[in-house]
Amino acid sequence: MNRKNLLLAFATALCVLVMTACSMLAPGTSWAPTHPEELGQGRPLCSSCHGDEAMKGGYKAYASFDHTDAFVKNHRYQANQDAGTCATCHSQSFCSDCHGGKVPMTPATLNANRPDRDMPHRPNYLAIHRMDGKLDPSGCFRCHGRANNEKCTACHR
Amino acid sequence: MKLRTHALLAAALVSAPGWSQDFSLTSTTIAQMWKQDAPGFDKATFTPATQYLGIDVTNLYRDEISLHLFGWGRADLGDASMPNGSKSSGELTYGYVSYRFKEANAEIKAGRFTVNQGVAIEQVDGASFRADLVGGFTVSAFGGRPVLYKVRDYVSNKDYDYQRDVIAGFRVGLRVPKFGEFGVSYLVDGTKPAKDLPIPSATDYTREQVGLDLRIAPVASFDLSGRTVLDVADHTETAATRANKPSKIAEHDYAATFRINGSWALTGAYTQRNYYAFFAGTNLPTLFRQDEKDKFRAFGGSVVYGGGGPVEVVADYRHTTRDAFGDSNRFGATLRWNLEKQKIQTGFSYHRVTTDDATLVDPARPAFGLSHHEARAWAMAERGRLFGSVDAIVQRYDDEKNPYLNGKPNLFETVASLGVSLSKNAKLSGDLSYATNPLFKKDVRGLLRLEYRFVSARKGAGK
Repeated sequence: MNRKNLLLAFATALCVLVMTACSMLAPGTSWAPTHPEELGQGRPLCSSCHGDEAMKGGYKAYASFDHTDAFVKNHRYQANQDAGTCATCHSQSFCSDCHGGKVPMTPATLNANRPDRDMPHRPNYLAIHRMDGKLDPSGCFRCHGRANNEKCTACHR
Repeated sequence: MKLRTHALLAAALVSAPGWSQDFSLTSTTIAQMWKQDAPGFDKATFTPATQYLGIDVTNLYRDEISLHLFGWGRADLGDASMPNGSKSSGELTYGYVSYRFKEANAEIKAGRFTVNQGVAIEQVDGASFRADLVGGFTVSAFGGRPVLYKVRDYVSNKDYDYQRDVIAGFRVGLRVPKFGEFGVSYLVDGTKPAKDLPIPSATDYTREQVGLDLRIAPVASFDLSGRTVLDVADHTETAATRANKPSKIAEHDYAATFRINGSWALTGAYTQRNYYAFFAGTNLPTLFRQDEKDKFRAFGGSVVYGGGGPVEVVADYRHTTRDAFGDSNRFGATLRWNLEKQKIQTGFSYHRVTTDDATLVDPARPAFGLSHHEARAWAMAERGRLFGSVDAIVQRYDDEKNPYLNGKPNLFETVASLGVSLSKNAKLSGDLSYATNPLFKKDVRGLLRLEYRFVSARKGAGK
């Protein structure tokens, strides 16, 4: 399928999808656009206020968003299923510190005054990245495979 | 981006406060300095200045409409710090208008934004839509052109777009109350045949992926999350040259958490990646080779003690296997201590990494070790208008003859930061870092950071 046909097919499908979805919208109000309460210092645990209560719609417990060490390391699962939940507390720029397609400095440099955020690529990762790359280059691919590789290309041509 | 787009954005930024009820601006200005005096490199002094700027305008004419802009610009006041020699650069990270419905978590976005749905984690210039439907279904879709970066063509310093002329995708999910969520997603990135490129390629760099994701959480104390990604592109250009058909499975990635008594949690994870399918679509094929037949598997777990108290302790283990390399194990523990009343946070960690030897095509030294120890300690504190932090990390490699270490098996870096709140909206802080590593005997860097955040809420207060 060429580009024109693909775009046409996708645009048609999108219109049908939007119209269909609009006629089948779930009842009930949307989540609050921002968290109504100020959060304290450190990683928040949603369950400390919400307990075992399920979120609006009754499908997930607030506890599953507790920002434990395991959640921080595996937050991609939640974000991939519904980034809107993250947006209640985090602006997109919070994510862009690490996941921006092109960033001018490492997240560890930008947030050096926030060691609690456990930013990656320390110490001087340029000096040791070859060793991590031997163990698993797919770990690099997530951020540098299709973007953020301007510096990589200086050597990896 | 064209000049007229910049002009349009600038006009939008300047006039934005006049249109809306709520307006917020975040600005971070960073000035850095470090000197380079290393064998094999020219002596240089780098002083890049970087400006981040973010603007969020909500209640734009109507409560449902908002505008979000974020980007950065950088200029070298001394020698050029980027490898391509340019002394300035910038990027509009995102800039989009959102219409957020009051019902069904429905939202339409248009402009430049990041898509995060199913298999897609993309920056797109285009439009997207998502909504919750009756019966527990959710639907989201996006389409447009992928955001490209100046990374590939060394002559013109412009991105070589390969076949990335269009990007689109969707995800359909089903939420089952008190059980979990299941999703199917699809992504297509690029349609142009590789043979029709300005520089015809023997490799197909288009991506066409299908993802299956799940989250099973029948009770608040347990959840299993993960996804499987399939590479469903034809790769017709390379199909004829392949002796063995590679796996279509790009990735299996699953993790489970079991919480006990609110204080303890057990976690487990499994990952498998087939590099041929996983690396499809890269714009850095010299590093992430799509003809790579290699496979990676990992499993691990952790025991977590915490649950909202001031102390969190994590003991973790991870075993990895890469067919072309061998095995590695990483294990250790992390302690975090949060004294909220005293406004102090601190953390310590120790990890040990043991690996098989890496091989070299060198009869004099056919193999070398990568095993090492890693320890880190950090602390943050706030007193009145002052705030500060210290963060130190050290790595010690077992094999001093590892050629990547240049005879320096000990790596060390420490960063100290001190700041002051100038007003309710403005903070000034400075960082000083000291490091020693295989590249630099002594690496000293300074950084000044001015952060400013302005929030207006003309309707209501304290939002």
